[in-house]
Amino acid sequence: MKIKLELFGASRDLSDKDFLEFYIEEKNSIKDLRKKIINYVENNFKGNENFKKIIETSAFCSEDNNIVSDAYRITKDQRIGIIPPIGGG
Amino acid sequence: MFHAKVIDIKKEKIEISKAELFIGSSKFGASIYFTGTVRDTNKNKKVTGITYDSHDDLVIKSFEDIYKETDEKLHIKNKVVFIEHVKGYVGLGEISIIIAVACKHRTEAYDLSRYIIEEIKKRTPIWKKEHYEGQDSKWLEGNPLIDQNQLK
Repeated sequence: MKIKLELFGASRDLSDKDFLEFYIEEKNSIKDLRKKIINYVENNFKGNENFKKIIETSAFCSEDNNIVSDAYRITKDQRIGIIPPIGGG
Repeated sequence: MFHAKVIDIKKEKIEISKAELFIGSSKFGASIYFTGTVRDTNKNKKVTGITYDSHDDLVIKSFEDIYKETDEKLHIKNKVVFIEHVKGYVGLGEISIIIAVACKHRTEAYDLSRYIIEEIKKRTPIWKKEHYEGQDSKWLEGNPLIDQNQLK
């Protein structure tokens, strides 16, 4: 399945675009997606510890705009937002 | 009554006058306008501006949730609330957020305004990238929305 990972905040430094694309197995979860993104950092940013920390502390947002847990099963191609620690206002 | 919007600063301005129009009413005796503006220093570094990033849909949802829960948590049912937050680059002294509230009495208005900004800081998905003298810039560390226990 194809995941379009929408980037926000500090995660924007992972790409020149607003998103990254990942391919995952059927019935994979957010936990698996998180591992994929960390692997992406290992391969493309020499395991940059700051980037890994951002991913490890990020929440994820489903296509219907709900924050989802690591157990959330991804059952179709979809957009997922990565939500790094927040601090607006 | 409630109004919430993310203002893309490249396309439109954030303006107090809009808030005045929205909350103005003879039904309420107390109005408070809170604005957040860009400060020139942070942790001894000279700041030249801030770029705000936003997950627009989640931000509006968060503003709506905060507004609704004030009925029960603060027991303030009669109120008008106006919230706008910018996304994009904001220079020194410029407004990043407006929270305007109107209530019957001042105690309610102060409580409501304070509650809204504190909750936004805790849970609304908005991010800041500070820009410093010398063209350096940095995303500020923030508050994780994830339950860290789930990762253990």
